[in-house]
Amino acid sequence: MKCTRPRSRRGAALALIAGLLFAVKALALGDGQKAPDFKAPSLDGGKGLSLAAYRGKVVYLDFWASWCPPCLTSLPLLEELRKEFPSDQFQILAVNVDQDFEKARKFLERTGVGYPSASDPKGRLPELFGVETMPTSFLIDRGGVIRYVHNGFRKGDVGPLRERIAQLVAAHNK
Amino acid sequence: MRRLIASFLLAALIVAGAGCAAVKPWERDVLARPDMAWEPDALEAKRNAHVHYSKEAALPGGGAGGGGCGCN
Repeated sequence: MKCTRPRSRRGAALALIAGLLFAVKALALGDGQKAPDFKAPSLDGGKGLSLAAYRGKVVYLDFWASWCPPCLTSLPLLEELRKEFPSDQFQILAVNVDQDFEKARKFLERTGVGYPSASDPKGRLPELFGVETMPTSFLIDRGGVIRYVHNGFRKGDVGPLRERIAQLVAAHNK
Repeated sequence: MRRLIASFLLAALIVAGAGCAAVKPWERDVLARPDMAWEPDALEAKRNAHVHYSKEAALPGGGAGGGGCGCN
């Protein structure tokens, strides 16, 4: 018996199957886009953290995990960087994605990191921001607009990062 | 018959495809553990690679061919 199904219909079915098999990944947020607001529980068990609470300051939003070696390199260096800028103008907000958040807590205690860290073991926030690598950081201006995305971390990254932060802090002080 | 085989292959592809999952960067918690590495002992792996490229005249390790002088 001859198959009478139209070719276009068969093509559409194949395209649908291919689409389901290779689902398109979410696009990462980038320079010039508005940073979505979020609320998440704090890693230290304190009150929840919200990005909107820091509106008016330059925010460095850092996604990290205790199993990610470059993240562990970055945290103490970021803590030093934080102290270089006035706290009413610059804020570092971290989002930890560890499933076992005890490891993350212990690391923070050991290194004396003073900036707040949210806990997101289900990965809702990295999904929202389209994080493509660990660590990823978003430098957000006082109006809540992303001005720079930093993928990965090496010790030498602190210098250029400091300049970018200083530019953003200074831009609003003029 | 051909249609049946095609349907079967399609069904198999869908079932196999359903088993695939992309691990997102923030989900690598367990995969990042040292005991999940292909080579759990880095020193042992390096030693094995060294013996391999010395004996097989291939440098480095299982990569591009080398001089094969056997002097490593």
